[in-house]
Amino acid sequence: MRKVWAVIRREFIERVRSKWFLISTILGPVFLLAVGILPSVLMTRTGRVMEIVLVDGEAGSLATRIRTQLERSSRFHITVLSATQDRLAAVEDSLVREVRAENLDGFLSVTAATLESGRAEYRGRNVSSFRDMGTLEEALRRSVVVERLNRQGINPAVVMEAQGRIDLRTLRISRRGAAGESGEATFFLGYAVGLILYMTILLYGINVMRSVLEEKQTRIIEVLVSSMRPFQLMLGKVVGVGAVGLFQFSIWAGVGYAMLRYRSQVLGWFGVSPAAASSVQMPGISAELLAIAGLYFLLGYVLYSSLFAVVGAACNTDTEAQQAQQPVMMLLVAALIVSFSALSDPGGQMAVTTSLVPFSAPIIMPVRVATSDVSTSQLAMSLAILAGTCLAVVWISARIYRIGILMYGKRPSMKELWRWARQS
Amino acid sequence: MSEPAVLEVDSISKRFAGHVAVTGLSLTVPRGTVYGLLGPNGAGKTTSIRMIMNITMPDEGSVRLFGDALGGRHHSARIGYLPEERGLYKRMKVREMLVFLAETKGVPRGTAAAKADRWLERLGLGDWRLRKVEELSKGMSQKVQFIACMLHEPELLILDEPFSGLDPINQQVLKDTIVQLSRGGTTIIFSTHQMEVAEKICDHVCIIARGKKVLDGALADVKRQHGGTHVAVAFEDGADGATAMRAISDLVETADDSGLSAELKLRPGADPQQVLERLMRQSLRLRRFERIEPSLHRIFLDKAGPEAAEAERRDGSHA
Repeated sequence: MRKVWAVIRREFIERVRSKWFLISTILGPVFLLAVGILPSVLMTRTGRVMEIVLVDGEAGSLATRIRTQLERSSRFHITVLSATQDRLAAVEDSLVREVRAENLDGFLSVTAATLESGRAEYRGRNVSSFRDMGTLEEALRRSVVVERLNRQGINPAVVMEAQGRIDLRTLRISRRGAAGESGEATFFLGYAVGLILYMTILLYGINVMRSVLEEKQTRIIEVLVSSMRPFQLMLGKVVGVGAVGLFQFSIWAGVGYAMLRYRSQVLGWFGVSPAAASSVQMPGISAELLAIAGLYFLLGYVLYSSLFAVVGAACNTDTEAQQAQQPVMMLLVAALIVSFSALSDPGGQMAVTTSLVPFSAPIIMPVRVATSDVSTSQLAMSLAILAGTCLAVVWISARIYRIGILMYGKRPSMKELWRWARQS
Repeated sequence: MSEPAVLEVDSISKRFAGHVAVTGLSLTVPRGTVYGLLGPNGAGKTTSIRMIMNITMPDEGSVRLFGDALGGRHHSARIGYLPEERGLYKRMKVREMLVFLAETKGVPRGTAAAKADRWLERLGLGDWRLRKVEELSKGMSQKVQFIACMLHEPELLILDEPFSGLDPINQQVLKDTIVQLSRGGTTIIFSTHQMEVAEKICDHVCIIARGKKVLDGALADVKRQHGGTHVAVAFEDGADGATAMRAISDLVETADDSGLSAELKLRPGADPQQVLERLMRQSLRLRRFERIEPSLHRIFLDKAGPEAAEAERRDGSHA
């Protein structure tokens, strides 16, 4: 046991000390920060006020109405310029020059015909901003509608009242009662859970493979297996690297918790007002979900890292290993792809089946738990199948590993690997 | 009753796909000896050592270490092993790696660190203990490896080709260390094909060729039993060695001719005095003429050289 401990310790210390660990630990939260905060920053940031000229081509009260509407959004600075029908073209020409000279962002022309046809023209340097163009169009539409209603003698206030904003809130009903989670937040959470599990299982699995390969390439393996059983070495390695994973996870969890807890302050540093910050709903992360994700990470990591250990033991060079790791990686990639469909239909046939299949369960099941309610029996069954498969795979892997680490030369075929596994 | 041998190997064999690496090898290593496992490349030395170390299992036969058959891994704390293929963790610091390897042998970390420092200092690597292994030169990393295999003060040290790749200075350092350890009571088994070194430090030798043992025993016995009359000659500079050798060719069975010196094995019945007379008649100036015991090099060539292989093949076909 002391020997296993020495291996665990070495794997852990060497990794935690490496630059690679530092970088990925920092980049993790940066990534989360980007995903969690950037959208709200981008959406609420006021940005520059646009300088716009409203050309009033005898449009009457419509122009003033549009101006009031636009100025409400405080994103536009409006100058109204009146022009008679015959001078309109000349005015527009000179405005085009102003826009080219960058003295102006753009101009909106409304004429007397606008009210009838609903047509107006905006010409500007940047017409691809959905938000700005949306605001312009909305202001125009509202003003035209109000003007038209006025002309028909209808009180616009009545119509506005009738059209009062309709808002469909989507709430997820879970066993804990109707949680205040929006559909979007749940989707985001499920997506993040799937992606993080995929990345960490892959990352740490490949780490185990590299470690096995290094010992084999430097031949230090001979010294090691003369003092301990190959299984002890593999055990120490898997546990050691896994401990690094858990350590990194807990750092991330800590940072993540702090981020959620002090979110408005953090957002404040980015210039987002507290009101705007609270308008973006964050998904609720329950302790239950964290526990399940952690458990599935561990089991999934054990499953995949023993497969990766076999790849390392069967290969001699990095290039060989890169090829040989493909089948194992494919299993994980497939699981990730399926998890996207599980996101939209977490209770569907596909999601339920794949959450029971041991090779995809480590990703699919936590995604399902994050996005829906999974019955305890399904959860138990999935865990039992996964744990059972882990035991079997670890057992077989250890047997192949034991022989592979001392074999040099040609890469063994699947048939040979199977023979090694059965060899006493 | 005498102490049990440190190692008893009883007719072990190992076959790999396509060829036989070792056939029926038996040997006994008494406690406290320096035991040389000699053989040409591909003779099966490394395979034998791996079987002794429990890294690979023999197809037949048994290995007993310290009087039992529990295997090398069971006794790993008492054994130090330097494999032929050298390797270390490249990115680890020298001292940390030594501590780790000692830990796998059951040495507590603190003790291991202190010992590592002492040995690094002793082998002239004191300044390198906090450097990474990948910064070391080849010779340095070989010394680090040697430290790694004996840091836990094993009773039995098994070294596979410890001298290969070392420069003369480091060879000397290693040789001195081995002798010193041996005086301290450590039993040392090492394989080599460098006969000069083996001759100097071995008490016992075992010559392996083509997977079989051809000879073993105490070095003195081996030399005595090799038989034949052996003479060493050396000429002064500028002498015509070739003419001299021709003059005595009918008296000589084999000659290890190095130009200005030679080790001769005389034909049965030939008298060394006769050889000396003939050489004098060539009016050659001699620097040395000595009746000697055969060198290990000579014995090795006789037993494991191409002629021996040929003889064995003939015997095989007659049988």
